[in-house]
Amino acid sequence: MQSHTKDFRQGAGAALSDPKIQANLEGLYNGFHQARIDASDQTPDWEALQDKGRAIKAHTLDNLAYYLEMVERNVIASGGHIYFAKDAEAASNYVVNLAKERGIELVIKGKSMVSEEMALNHRLEEEGIEPVETDLGEYIVQLAEETPFHIIAPAIHKSRVEVSELFVEKLNVPMYDNIEDLTREARDQLRQKFVDAGMGITGANFIVAETGTVTLVTNEGNGRMCTSMPKIHVAITGMEKVVPSIEDLGLFLRLLIRSATGQRISSYVTTVTGPRGEDEVDGPEEFHLVIVDNGRSKMLADPNLREALYCLRCGACLNACPVYRKVGGHAYGWVYPGPIGAIVSPMLTNLSEAKDLPFASTLCGACKEACPVKINIPRMLLYLRKELTQGETYPEHKSVSMAESTAVKGWRASVSSSFMMRLSNLGGRLLQLPFVRGGRIDRLPSPLSGWTKHRKFPAIASKPFRTRWKNIGKK
Amino acid sequence: MTERNEFFNTIRQALGPQTEAPNLTGTGSSALGDNSDAVSARSQAIQAYIDEQSGPLMDSLSESATGAGWKVARFDDLDKAGDHIVGIVRDVEANLVVRSRQDVLESGIVEAWLASLGVDVVPMALGEHSEHTVDELRSLAERADIGITGVDYAIAETGSCVLIPSAQVSRLVSLLPPIHIAIVQRGQVLPTLDELFTIRRRDFLDGNLGSYMNLISGPSRSADIEYTLVTGVHGPGEVHMILVG
Repeated sequence: MQSHTKDFRQGAGAALSDPKIQANLEGLYNGFHQARIDASDQTPDWEALQDKGRAIKAHTLDNLAYYLEMVERNVIASGGHIYFAKDAEAASNYVVNLAKERGIELVIKGKSMVSEEMALNHRLEEEGIEPVETDLGEYIVQLAEETPFHIIAPAIHKSRVEVSELFVEKLNVPMYDNIEDLTREARDQLRQKFVDAGMGITGANFIVAETGTVTLVTNEGNGRMCTSMPKIHVAITGMEKVVPSIEDLGLFLRLLIRSATGQRISSYVTTVTGPRGEDEVDGPEEFHLVIVDNGRSKMLADPNLREALYCLRCGACLNACPVYRKVGGHAYGWVYPGPIGAIVSPMLTNLSEAKDLPFASTLCGACKEACPVKINIPRMLLYLRKELTQGETYPEHKSVSMAESTAVKGWRASVSSSFMMRLSNLGGRLLQLPFVRGGRIDRLPSPLSGWTKHRKFPAIASKPFRTRWKNIGKK
Repeated sequence: MTERNEFFNTIRQALGPQTEAPNLTGTGSSALGDNSDAVSARSQAIQAYIDEQSGPLMDSLSESATGAGWKVARFDDLDKAGDHIVGIVRDVEANLVVRSRQDVLESGIVEAWLASLGVDVVPMALGEHSEHTVDELRSLAERADIGITGVDYAIAETGSCVLIPSAQVSRLVSLLPPIHIAIVQRGQVLPTLDELFTIRRRDFLDGNLGSYMNLISGPSRSADIEYTLVTGVHGPGEVHMILVG
């Protein structure tokens, strides 16, 4: 997918001035966020589950090569095919070539964030293969030719009226004024696609190394349709989705689902181990698992960022984030929005281009608090900020301007000793004179104008604290 | 170098020096360090527990399944359950019912129940005596008003039915028709997800994992438009859980 991470400011500005988006974002907070809090409160020993989940994720990532080879052996043993794709292009090529070899014209898709990374729909269309998204939200987003707004609620930025108008325009159906009718229309439209499609593509919430099993969590049933109706099932997922044993699934399903929607469990949890058995009535004849790196190994290699790969993609940090709740998903400019997206998107695309994302956070820690596996997102955001300004690990992405870095160096020098501090205080008091009104600085000239654009800046006190403290001591 | 080896080289480089076989005891995962006997022992303990606690587990399932959106009804025996199912079929004026061929349904009870209503019942499985091809079965499932299945397990924690497709159990009976009726018998109810996955691990070690499993927990639903809950998106919008015993 084309990255627009460098346009964060414009995107954020557009969302902030759109009252519709603001109202929908408010709903997100009242809905999912509160449901998650209730669900974790009601789960006995929630924190112990979080710690255990985190420990298993850490262990699996620390031994990823071992577990991926285990996945490979067991997928093959179950009669499936496995392909390890180093990047988005390799993954797309594999899927497109497979579809062409099998003469497929229509592909149905369940939710897969990785396929968004790959811009797979676009690639399929270029080859004359029709891809159809089947998750209701993704279907709406696809019809509107947009990108998902939220990891688990892709079309939550659209009102029922907008969806209805979209259906009228794209599907040539009458205007429906209630959501039940809209849903029934989508069901009917998609049911025929499920019947006709030659290939079903899904993501995977978990891959079990021990058994080579792919696990899908859905509420609508499209994941079941994609894995039951077409002759070929292709699951595409990031390499970080591995868990060691099938016995770990109970724990991870609890952590994921309760954090995502606040449900005790989703309507459907589906496990797929290879193609259908010889004696089975239905199900795909071929099963392919595509495991994608696409930049994840960079995070794996960096001990400061490895824990970003623990992410279960539940979306809880988005709903909890005061910034996401205002600017919404599109502003972040790539597949993964919100606090975790502000780490993952820069690392999987281009850190310099995405340099605004790690700064789009108040560091309040609500994301870390919400995370089912306690990912320390604020720590990593700070780390990326430091990298962008000092470039110790990623010098090629150091993107601070000469003026800013000189100014910071000057600041550092000015507070490095009490003599320098007194001197700079004195200088500051003199320099600020033309701008101070009532103890506040209203407006500074460029290049400092940004500091006073949205608020008044407190003036440097006429008497420094140290002097006042001395006087207090004397009294 | 092959693509595959290149992929693994990148990962090994990212991980740095490490032992090839990880120490499994420090994971917090109960699992991979166990040998097959340990899994068997745990699996047997679970079986003993669910037999002994079958009554309370049914009570607990009834409550959680209701919360998950199932229409739950409980009966002492299959005959009384049959009357209830006849009522559902009559109320929705169903013309075609598909059923899976699990043991509980193989005696022909569904056919017997519905004979008086003149409703066609099609068992969804290929067999020596099946008169339908795979494609015919699929189109019957698409046209059916109701799908009736047994279950392999149910889960009290989450209100779930567990269906493991096999030679006798189609994936489509509980998926394509707009109404699904699941019959749960006493002794099939597990306390939590964890017991299910321990049993499934035992199955895997025995070579019986199979290719597919569904945990079904209420109707198909979505809140993708304006957070408004609607049911019956791709799967059944109306689901009945019939508890027997």
